[in-house]
Amino acid sequence: MLIHIRNLWKTYDMGQAVQVQALRGVDLDIERGEYLAIMGPSGSGKSTLMNLVGCLDTPTEGTYELNGRMVSQLSDDELAYIRNKEIGFVFQTFNLLARATALHNVELPLIYNGTPASERKKKAQQALAAVDLTDRSHHKPNELSGGQRQRVAIARALVNSPSIILADEPTGNLDSATGAEIMQLFDRLSKQGHTIILVTHEHDIAAYAERSVHLRDGKIEKDERRAA
Amino acid sequence: MGKLKTPIWESVKISLSSLRANKLRSILTLIGVIIGVTSIITMVSLISGFNKLVADQLATLGSTTFIVEKFGIILSDDDWFDAMKRKDLTLADYQAIAAGCSECEEVAIQKASNRKVKYGREHFSRVPIVGITPNYMKVVALDDIVDKGQGRVITEFENDHRRQVAILGPELVDKFFPMLDPIGKKVRIGGIDFTVVGVPKKRGSFLGDNQDRFAAIPFSVYQKYFSNKLEPWEGLQFYIKAKDYPSMEKAQDQVRAILRARRHVPYHDKDDFGMYTAETLMDLFKKVTTGISFTLVGIVSISLLVGGIVIMNIMLVSVTERTREVGVRKALGARRRSILLQFLIEAVTLAVAGGTAGILLGVLLAKVISWTTPIPAAIEPWSIIAGLLVSTGVGVFFGVFPAAKAARLDPIEALRYE
Repeated sequence: MLIHIRNLWKTYDMGQAVQVQALRGVDLDIERGEYLAIMGPSGSGKSTLMNLVGCLDTPTEGTYELNGRMVSQLSDDELAYIRNKEIGFVFQTFNLLARATALHNVELPLIYNGTPASERKKKAQQALAAVDLTDRSHHKPNELSGGQRQRVAIARALVNSPSIILADEPTGNLDSATGAEIMQLFDRLSKQGHTIILVTHEHDIAAYAERSVHLRDGKIEKDERRAA
Repeated sequence: MGKLKTPIWESVKISLSSLRANKLRSILTLIGVIIGVTSIITMVSLISGFNKLVADQLATLGSTTFIVEKFGIILSDDDWFDAMKRKDLTLADYQAIAAGCSECEEVAIQKASNRKVKYGREHFSRVPIVGITPNYMKVVALDDIVDKGQGRVITEFENDHRRQVAILGPELVDKFFPMLDPIGKKVRIGGIDFTVVGVPKKRGSFLGDNQDRFAAIPFSVYQKYFSNKLEPWEGLQFYIKAKDYPSMEKAQDQVRAILRARRHVPYHDKDDFGMYTAETLMDLFKKVTTGISFTLVGIVSISLLVGGIVIMNIMLVSVTERTREVGVRKALGARRRSILLQFLIEAVTLAVAGGTAGILLGVLLAKVISWTTPIPAAIEPWSIIAGLLVSTGVGVFFGVFPAAKAARLDPIEALRYE
């Protein structure tokens, strides 16, 4: 089991004794190699769940085991270590560093775990090759199209060989044709054995995944697998 | 639990690239620190150059020589009024010292006033004329300076027989005898004819005092022609050389005892004459420049403080602008320490760049001032090191707060920041 979540609660204090319960007891298991979509309307708690799964935040209650390690009560720096090792983020707005080249953007996670420069370059080149962007490695984000930018971001997510790729509305800022290309790329990565978690509210995007988990009011409403 | 290690060098590279991305802003940010460090370097150079110049000049007086005169060192109006009431030092005092001071090797007299000096149609008004006993030249090393110039010094014989001979300052010689040999020429000093026997080497100005514009004549001749027009501050000055350095104090005590007895100074009263050495003068000068230094330290501190606040301000802007970047870096595994270092190094790099520019500018400014004005400059290596240390300190001190602010950012909030 790659991800083992039990009775996960997240409560936000909004001040003046007002509390918002974003998650109310979520149980979720994800196997290695799964391709899963987390769906739900806004306010359903899917962003909160994504932040917790992505180790950007810790739950108020409950346990989260990632790759055999209990990560639900770690310090900031320990979480940073887990994010670096285990999680590759893909964001809706790409979140590339504007001043840096595609190659340097892909190298970033490696910089934060002290990979030597020569090895870093090699790994980053390999990751860019995996998303078919070898010829764009020295371009800066503003010299790339939206689809290419998202592919750089995916290469960045892949470069450290993480346990999961966590993609938050990865096609939200792309036109439908480019979006479809990106989704095909995720398909390919899934077939290569990567574990992928998509967070989306679009049904046709979720349809690419093999399993979809629907959230409503902080609870899992539906957990369905696509017939193979 | 393993630890993520980000080499410092990577943090430096990240910081530099972000500074390069905002060149103009980075340069403007530096101005405060540049001005601060420039002032440190320039001021230290000028003060120490000045000190060296003064030390060199006072060295000609030698460590075994002391000066006795009516006034001494005047530091206040009260001193001045007290000194004005004192009796002049007389020729009889001189004779008493010369006879009674066993530790004194030479006792010389100098007396000075301003006169007009004329040759042909050319003239200088108000030239300092010094009447001297010939041993005065030995005491203040004027004999060496004449040796390096032209002609010779004034002899004992000339003083004893009231010969009208003069040593003429090189500035006067340049004007009177631009093409001619000055030795043996007759010039008119205060209406009396004098034969030029020697011309000292050029020495330039010292503390605004032109050392090449004077004439020295035998003391006996001075007494005969110029002494009747005495003004109250024109008493005799004694230049006394002790036998050697160890006998300095004894010689001064002997002279003090002789003068106090002759001038009937009561036992508990202070001396009614001044006595000082090159060391006394140097100490006094150092006291003055130290005072100036402290004032400057205050001014420099203010400009460094302002420079530091500007750096802090720009770093806060930079952190806010790059909130999202911080979020991304954190999501990718940057620890607090890495983010802290990134921004701290950025601040320190800014400050040290300012410090380096300040050092270069300061050295340049000190050089330009010493080339274009008579004020000398001596660049002190310690001031350069101090400049670097101070600017690094400013960078760390004013960079920590913005950097800590960036490091504390919550990655979720930061990623959502527009």
